[in-house]
Amino acid sequence: MSQPDDLPKDAERRLEQLEHGLFTSDLSVNEFLLVKEVGFHPLGFVMGSSIYHTGIQMRKWGQSQELAKLTEAMYNARELAMTRMEEEATELGADGVVGVRLDVNYYEWGNDAAEFIAMGTAVKAEDGNSYRNKLGKPFTSDLSGQDFWTIMQTGYVPRGLVMGTCVYHIAHRGLGQALGSAGQNVELPNFTQALYEARELAMTRMQDEANELDANGIVGVRLEEKSHQWGSHTIEFLALGTAVSKVAGDVTLPRPITIISLDN
Amino acid sequence: MTDDALPEAAQRRLASGAFSSGLTIPDFSACLAMGLRPVGLVQGFCVMKWSWYGAGSPYLQASTPYSSGGGGYAESYRCPHGFVSGDHRSWGQNYEQTWVEAAWAQGFGSAYARLVDEAVATGAHGVIGVVDTARHLSDLAVTEFHILGTAVVVEEGSPPPDGRPWTTYLAGQRLAKLIEAGFMPVALAAAMSSVRVWAYCMTDYLMEGRNFTWGGAGAQEVDQVVRAHMAVRQLARAQVRGQLGGDALHGARLTTSHRELGEGDEVVECTLRGTRVRRFKDFDPVEPPMPTVRLS
Repeated sequence: MSQPDDLPKDAERRLEQLEHGLFTSDLSVNEFLLVKEVGFHPLGFVMGSSIYHTGIQMRKWGQSQELAKLTEAMYNARELAMTRMEEEATELGADGVVGVRLDVNYYEWGNDAAEFIAMGTAVKAEDGNSYRNKLGKPFTSDLSGQDFWTIMQTGYVPRGLVMGTCVYHIAHRGLGQALGSAGQNVELPNFTQALYEARELAMTRMQDEANELDANGIVGVRLEEKSHQWGSHTIEFLALGTAVSKVAGDVTLPRPITIISLDN
Repeated sequence: MTDDALPEAAQRRLASGAFSSGLTIPDFSACLAMGLRPVGLVQGFCVMKWSWYGAGSPYLQASTPYSSGGGGYAESYRCPHGFVSGDHRSWGQNYEQTWVEAAWAQGFGSAYARLVDEAVATGAHGVIGVVDTARHLSDLAVTEFHILGTAVVVEEGSPPPDGRPWTTYLAGQRLAKLIEAGFMPVALAAAMSSVRVWAYCMTDYLMEGRNFTWGGAGAQEVDQVVRAHMAVRQLARAQVRGQLGGDALHGARLTTSHRELGEGDEVVECTLRGTRVRRFKDFDPVEPPMPTVRLS
């Protein structure tokens, strides 16, 4: 499985079964009803996976810097997993994938290797219109069924799950710096600047992906930070959100009804 | 890093075409319904070196009891037993750690100012759905303040008179209901207060359940600790009240924590945050709510 367009035999067999009408989905009952209500039908549970070996990159003790090799590895691995999930969805003739989850797992048997998994439910529009994105691929989104229903009411449609990552090494403080600020409450500009730069890089890359899809915006942005297995001074900043485009003109949203729940 | 200079990476991101927003989908939808257009996710950071031994700290004084540390609230307690031994805690003290509060205010204030600077750079009228976090980085002495929110423009609205966007922790229907009630958000209001408890003998015995040794019996209030908890809350409220300038505080969240630093030595901290709001119109009556029962 060297190329992302080579799906495993078992996946092809499973997808063939789905093409004959049976569908699988990890949507809850409420989500399923709302996805149907908004005019989409679930086709099947789709996933993509990549086990990736992350290389080694030298870090300078006293210098904050992006670790480009590790950034590239984290990016490529997720892209591979996402691409394979999109291929499964394409195989089913889907317009999109909702409820996408993107996880990273580490196993004891693989030092410096991690499994990146993308999974979600492929859906197809019942009105026969295509909702595929500018690249001709099914849209992907981490929206739940409820969120998918709500965003469609606003006149926006999802275009793709977009992400940006940046692996950054935060410099250690030297003895001189530590002694210089001993006993004082002071800002540490080097730390501030490094964390600022790293998060901004991740977010800029996420926005670049949205621009490639001709999206108007990104909703539900999450900023995740993990050190994985690199130690506390090396952090991956991951920005993740759903790129959306406005397809309808002015939409009048229904006024919410105030309720009192009589449940316990 | 100065407050008025955005990092180059931030300027590049904010100049990009697509808007980004940290709002949930329901909040995003409510935001559009209110006529608020998201223009970008904005944020501010500040990493602070956090000194427990700063100016005014008792460690730089001659360990003199009955002093007020760095000014502010202080109360002293004297042992009722007379001299017992060298280990006996013959005095105790509660005191406000003003240098810790000042460090928190500086860290939060710098991060907040940078968030507002980013919002100004996007041409925003306001920032909604603000989330703030303070976390320890490598050790307890280094703390990062991170404030994040979604900058918005009021459709058919005019920019704030002073050019500084309004800010609020609220978003979605909570913000819509606030506006329907006739209030507009003005700014975040937040403060942290810190009180150190240096236990005297009675507090120490009560906290360890050994009060019977010195004639105590049954359930008893630990006066020194109770007063520290009351004081720390009052101090946080007083600080926030000082920021309101006659406006009201909406959605106040008050959290307290305590940390033991050693035997008979603990810190009680309180953080109070909320949105400063101002009345701008009369209350719009809300329709009577509909009673509902979930079927699940």
